[in-house]
Amino acid sequence: MSIRRIDPHAERMRRNRLHPRHQEFARPAWRWISAEGVTRVNPHLVGAIGPNGIKRIDRSGASVESSSVSASQASAEPSRRQIVIAEPAGYVMVVPELAEGRLSDHDRDLFGLARQLADDRRLAVTAITFQGGVTGLEEAGADRWLDLSASAEDGDYCPEARLAGLERIEASLSPAHWLFADTFPGGGDLGRRLAARLSVPSDGAQGERAATRVWQVADGKSLSRAGDRQDIQRDVPRVLLALPECAEPVSETRHEARPMMVDTGQSGTDAAVDIGIIDRGRVAVDPQQIPLAQAPFILSAGRGIGDWEGYHHAARVLGASEGASRVAVDDGYMPRARQVGATGTFVSASCYIAVGISGAVQHLQGIARCQRVIAINSDPSCDMVKRADLAIIADGDDVLKALCESLGQPKASSQPGEEPLHDAA
Amino acid sequence: MLQTLLPILIFAALIVGAIGALRRVRLWRQGRRSPMVWRRILLIPKRYLNDLHHVVARDKAMAHTHVATAGGFVAAMALAVVVHGFGWRHPILGGLLLAASAAMFVGALAVNRRRVKPPEKLSRGPWQRLSKSLLAYSVGMFLISLPLVGIAPALFGGGVLAVLLIALVAWGVLEMIVGMGWGGPMKHAFAGSLHLAFHRRPERFDDRHPKSIRPSGHQFDQDASHDEHRGSRSTALFPLDLNAEKLGVEKPADFQWEQLLGFDACVQCGRCQAVCPAFAAGQPLNPKKLIQDMVVGMAGGTDSGYAGSGYPGIEVGKHHGASAEPIVPQLVEAETLWACTTCRACVEECPMMIEHVDAIVDMRRFITLERGETPEKGAAAIDNLIATDNPGGLDNASRLDWAADLEIPRIQDRPEGVDVLLWLGDGAFDMRNQRTLRALVKILRAGNVDFAVLGDEERDSGDVARRLGDEATFQRLAERNIATFSRYRFQRIVTADPHSFHVIGREYPAFGGEYVVKHHSTFIAELFDAGRLSVATSEQRETITYHDPCYLGRYNGEFAAPRQVLAALGLDVAEMERSGYRSRCCGGGGGAALSDVPGKARIPDMRMIDVRETGATTVAVACPQCTAMLEGVVEPRPQIKDLAELVADALIEQPTAADDIVSPADSEFFDEVPA
Amino acid sequence: MMPPDDANSVSVFALVSSGRHPVSGRAGRAREDARAVEMGLMLAGSALKLAHAGDADDGALRDCLEAYLGMFHGLGDDRPGELSLLPMTTEDDAVAALSEWLANSGARLVLTGQRAECGEGSAMLPYLLAERLGWSVVAGIAAIESVDAGSATLLQALPQGQRRRLDVRLPCLVAVDAVAPAPRQSAFGPARRGSINVVEGIETSPDTARRAWQTQPARARPRRLKVVKSGNARDRFKAAAAKSSASGGQVLSGLTPDQAAEKLIDYLRKEKILREEKTPSISEEASAADQ
Repeated sequence: MSIRRIDPHAERMRRNRLHPRHQEFARPAWRWISAEGVTRVNPHLVGAIGPNGIKRIDRSGASVESSSVSASQASAEPSRRQIVIAEPAGYVMVVPELAEGRLSDHDRDLFGLARQLADDRRLAVTAITFQGGVTGLEEAGADRWLDLSASAEDGDYCPEARLAGLERIEASLSPAHWLFADTFPGGGDLGRRLAARLSVPSDGAQGERAATRVWQVADGKSLSRAGDRQDIQRDVPRVLLALPECAEPVSETRHEARPMMVDTGQSGTDAAVDIGIIDRGRVAVDPQQIPLAQAPFILSAGRGIGDWEGYHHAARVLGASEGASRVAVDDGYMPRARQVGATGTFVSASCYIAVGISGAVQHLQGIARCQRVIAINSDPSCDMVKRADLAIIADGDDVLKALCESLGQPKASSQPGEEPLHDAA
Repeated sequence: MLQTLLPILIFAALIVGAIGALRRVRLWRQGRRSPMVWRRILLIPKRYLNDLHHVVARDKAMAHTHVATAGGFVAAMALAVVVHGFGWRHPILGGLLLAASAAMFVGALAVNRRRVKPPEKLSRGPWQRLSKSLLAYSVGMFLISLPLVGIAPALFGGGVLAVLLIALVAWGVLEMIVGMGWGGPMKHAFAGSLHLAFHRRPERFDDRHPKSIRPSGHQFDQDASHDEHRGSRSTALFPLDLNAEKLGVEKPADFQWEQLLGFDACVQCGRCQAVCPAFAAGQPLNPKKLIQDMVVGMAGGTDSGYAGSGYPGIEVGKHHGASAEPIVPQLVEAETLWACTTCRACVEECPMMIEHVDAIVDMRRFITLERGETPEKGAAAIDNLIATDNPGGLDNASRLDWAADLEIPRIQDRPEGVDVLLWLGDGAFDMRNQRTLRALVKILRAGNVDFAVLGDEERDSGDVARRLGDEATFQRLAERNIATFSRYRFQRIVTADPHSFHVIGREYPAFGGEYVVKHHSTFIAELFDAGRLSVATSEQRETITYHDPCYLGRYNGEFAAPRQVLAALGLDVAEMERSGYRSRCCGGGGGAALSDVPGKARIPDMRMIDVRETGATTVAVACPQCTAMLEGVVEPRPQIKDLAELVADALIEQPTAADDIVSPADSEFFDEVPA
Repeated sequence: MMPPDDANSVSVFALVSSGRHPVSGRAGRAREDARAVEMGLMLAGSALKLAHAGDADDGALRDCLEAYLGMFHGLGDDRPGELSLLPMTTEDDAVAALSEWLANSGARLVLTGQRAECGEGSAMLPYLLAERLGWSVVAGIAAIESVDAGSATLLQALPQGQRRRLDVRLPCLVAVDAVAPAPRQSAFGPARRGSINVVEGIETSPDTARRAWQTQPARARPRRLKVVKSGNARDRFKAAAAKSSASGGQVLSGLTPDQAAEKLIDYLRKEKILREEKTPSISEEASAADQ
C-alpha cells in the first residue's frame, strides 16, 4: 500500500496566492488557455524524468501527480500461465539457498537457469530443500519439490548428511543437472562436495568437473568465471554452481511444485554417513567488530541525534552495528569508518534503522541494498521516510530512550561516570 | 718530591690511557671490517682544523672556547710530557707550558660558565665533571710549572701544598688521559680524531670530490651563500649487498667498524636533538640518545648512565644492550627508528660528523628485510610498489590521466631524442600535485622546452622503499628505471619531486645510472637566466616565505635556485628562522608519513608555526610531499603554493609558433650546461 | 602466540598458489593463500610446510613462492621455510599430484586459500583432494581456535560478519576465507633463505577434463535491467518512470515515544531481527496492557 503524503502547510501556501511563499510551492501551469482562447501547453513542464535520464511524457490522461499510486498498481504481477509436467523425461535438481527460510533473488535466478535447461527437454525442475514450509516455489519455477528436512536437521551445518541425501537422489533419479547457488558456506560448499563425489565415478576414470561461478548458459555452453580475468566456456556439465543473475527468474509461468518422495531404500544409509564435521553453533560476534559493509543490523545516526550517549547505548541494547551519516561524521560525533553512503561504505544490512537522517542522495545510494529500512525522523517529508519500509515520525532521542527502556535496559542515570560500569554489568 | 712523582704520574696515566684506548679499539673492531688505509690518519689535522671547525664555528662562542681549551690542553699535555715527564726543564718550554695552561684555564672558565645552567640539549653527569676537571688540570699544571720559570720555587718544595697540587694534576690527568682511553667524556677527542680519519664518507671533507659535485651544476652555486659546504654533500645511502648473509643491522656488531667509531666520537652536545623535528614533536626519537645507545650496545651495559634528554615518552635506564645482542627492542624501540624523517638535520648539525641517518636506515633495513616488521602502512606501500610500481597500489597506466587534455609528448614517440625528460614522480597520482605538474608543463611550454614524459613506463623512484629499509624493492625499481632510461635518448631529467631528484641523481649512479638530473626550481631558474620566461612581476607586495625541502636543500645543496626564482617573480622572501641548511622538515620524508609514529604535536603543524612567524601569507614549496604535509595543517593557515604554480600564475603568454621549439642542437643556452 | 604442544604433534601444511594483483595482474602472493599460510604459522610456527604443484622452471612462479617463504619470521626460531614443489606442467592435473603426495606426507591439517586467483579458480581443489584422500573438508574458515591430535575447532565465516564454530575430524583440508586475519609481511631475507625443494618422482597425469574447455578474457557481465512484463504500455511506462523511493512504506506519526518504541520492537521481532529471549520488562507489560 502506498501513501500519498501531503504537507498541509505547503498545500495551504499553494492554494493561497497571496501567501508570501506562494511562489515556492505553486506548481507552474503546464497548460493554460491563452488570450486568444487557444489551449497552450508548455512541453518543458510536462512529464517526468525516467530512470534512464530521458524525459517521458505521459499522455494517458492520468496526471503526473498521482504517479506514485499508479506505479504500485503497475508493479502488480500480471497473471501467470500454469505449467504442468506430468510425465517428466528427467529431472533438473535445484538446491536453493533459502537464507532465512525463504527464496532469495539468487535462488529465483537459479530456478530461471534450471528452466532454461529443462524446458525444451521436458525435464522437471525439482527443488530440493532441507527445510519444510518453503513458499513461493510455484512462482519460482519448480515442477517438483523434494523435502529432505527429515534426513538432515534444520538449520545446522551438516554438509555430510546433506550430501548423503543428495547421493541417494542421484542414485535413484540420476538427474540431468544439479544446480547450486555458488555461495559460501551454503550451496557453494554442498555443490562442490557433490561435484567432488560425482567426479570419481566407480569405474575409476577421471570424471567430469563441475562448472563453478557460472554466470551464463547459452547454446548448450556454460560460461564460468575463472581466475585471472578469464572466462571458461564449456559444454553444460551435470553440476553447475551459479552466480547471482545467472539467468532471468521465472516471471510468466507458474508451476506445480508437486511434493514428491524418493524411494531410496533407507536401509542403513543414515548409519553409513561418516560425520567428520560437527556444528557447534553460532558464535557471538561483537557487532562493532563486524565490517560495516557486512553488518546485518545497523543503527545509523544523523544530525537528528542530540544524545549521543543514548544512541551508543541503544546500539548496544539492540546489538546493532553503528553507522552514521556524513554530517554526523563531519561534526566529529562518529569516526569516518562508520560513514554510510556513496562517499562512505555501501551497506547491505538486512535491517537498517536510520535515526535522524534526512536521507541525502548519497546516503540512499549507500543503503540501496538493505532489505528493510526503518526511519525515525521528526520530519515526515524527508526522503528517508519515503524510502523507509517503516517510518516513525518522532524525535530520535526519545524513541531510542523509550526503546532501551522497553527492552528492559534503560540507560543509566545521566552521570557519565557510571555509564561504563552499567554497561559492563 | 714533585720531580719524582710527576713523571710517574704522567707516564702511568699515558700507559693506562693507552691500554684503555686499545680496549676501545677492540670494541670498534667488533664491527664489520673494511680495508684499513693507515695513511688516512694523516688527514686528521686538515679535517679537524678545517671541516670540523666549520661546523663547530656555527656557534662562535663555543668555537673559541673549544680552541682555547682543546688547544691549550694539547699543548700543555705535550709540553708536560717533555718538561715534567722527561725532565727537560728548559725555562722557555716552561714558559710555553704556563701559557698553554693559562689558555686552557681561560677556555675552561668559559666551559664552566656554560655549565652553570646548562641548556637542555647538553648532557650532564660526567660532562659536568669534565668542566671541573679541565679547571683542575689547567690550574694544577700552571701552578706546578711555575718553578720552571723561577717563580715561587721555595713554596712547592714539599708539604701539603705539593700534595694538593699533585692531586689536582692527577685529577686532571685521570680525566683527560685515562678517561680518554677508558670511555670518559674525553673519549670524544681520541675517537673523534680517528673518526675524522676513517669517516665512511670521505667526500664530506672534500669540496672538489668527483662524487660530491652536484649533478645540477647550476651557475648560481657561486653565490649560494646559504650552503656552507656546497660541494661536500655526500648524502646517498650506501647500497646494501643483497647477497650478504644478514641484511641490515641487527646487533651493534653488524655496523661497519667506522660507524662504531663514529658513535664513540659523540660529544653529547645535543645540537642534533635541538634540530630533530621528531624530537620536537614529542615522538620517541632523540638522535643524541640514539647514538649513545649505540655506544651502550657496542660496549655492553644499560643506558642508566646516560645523563641527557631521553626519547620523549620513553624512560631512560630501562634499556640494555650488548654488541652481540639484537638492538631492537631491548636497546632501542622500533618506533624510535620509524619516527625518523631522514631529514638529515642532525647530520648537518653534528660537529663530529656522525651519520645518524645511515645508522637508522641500516637498522630499518634489518627490520624490514629480515624481520618483516615494517609499520603497517609502510608495509602496504612496499607491497604496492612490488605489485604496481607505485606506493598507492594504483594502476600505473593511469599515471598520465590528469594530463589527458595537455597532450604531453611521450618519449616513446620521439626516437630521435628530446632535451628534457620530465619525470613526474608519484605525485602524478595525487590531485593536489597534479596542479603543480600542470603548472610545470605550462612553464616548459612557455619556455619552448623540448620535453617528453615516460608515461606508464615511469615507476616509483624507490625513495620510500629505500628509506623504509626495503633495499631489495629499491634496487629492483632502480634497475628497472635505469633499463627504461637506457632505451630512450634525452639530455637531462627534470622533476618537481626532490625525492626523485635525489634518488635518481645521487643514488642511481651506484647502480650504473648516471644522468644529469635537475630539480624544477633549478631548471626554471635557468630558464629565467636565459631570458626564456617572461613574467609579470607582482604588483602587490605580498609577504612570502620559502620552505626548503630536505631532499633539495640539505641533501643536494640547492638553496639558491628557488630563491632566485622567487626573486625573478619580484617576490620578497621573508626567511624563516630555520631555513636553508637549517630548514625544518615537513614531517613527510623517509616514510615517516607512513609509519605515523604518534607524538605530542605534528611536525607540519610546527613548521606552519615557523611560517606564521614570518607573517607570510603564502609559503612557497618545491616538493609534493611538503605540499601535502603542510596543506594537511588545519585552516586558517597561509596558503601553500609550489614554485611552479607561482611562476605559471605570473607567466605572460607569448604567442609562439609551434615550430619554434628549440631542439637541443641549436640551443646556445643548453650547450653551456655541462652534461 | 606459540602453538600449544598438542598442535606441534599435528603436522600442518599449507597449499599455496600464484596470485594475481587485482590492479596490475602481476604475480605475487594470493590473498587467501597468504591468509592460509598466516593461519598455519600461528598454529605450527616454523614447522609449517608449504606445497605447490606447478612448473618448476618458471622464474616468476619461484619469485611468487619465495614471497610465501618470506613470511617465515617472528616465529621464535630462525628455521627457514620449506616449500615442496611438485613439478608438473600447466596441462597436468594438480589434484592427482597433490593427493598422491599428501597421502604420503603425514599431513594432518592442510590449509589453503579458498579460491585460486589464476587458472580455473573453481575452488574445487580442496574438495577433490578430500574426496581422493577420504579426508574431511571445510570451507570459508576465518580462524582456527584449537587443534588436538584427532580434531580441530574452527570458526567458519558466515555472511554478514557472523561466525559458526565447527569441530572437524583430522586429517582435514581447510579452505581459508578472505576474512581470516591479514597475513604478515613477506620479508626479503627469510624469502631468500627459505628453500624450494622440487619433489622427485611425482607421477603426473594430464588434466583431460579441461581439454574441451575454451578460455577467453572475462567479459563484463551485463547489468540486469528491470523489465516490466505487462501488456499495457502505460503500465510499463509507469513502472519505468516511477521513483523507486516512493514505494509504499508504513508511516506512523503522532505516537508517543513509548508507543513508537513498541511498534519498532514489534516490527523487529516480526522480522526476526530481535530475538525474544529477554523476559518482558514491567514497562513492556504495562504498555501491552494499555493496548
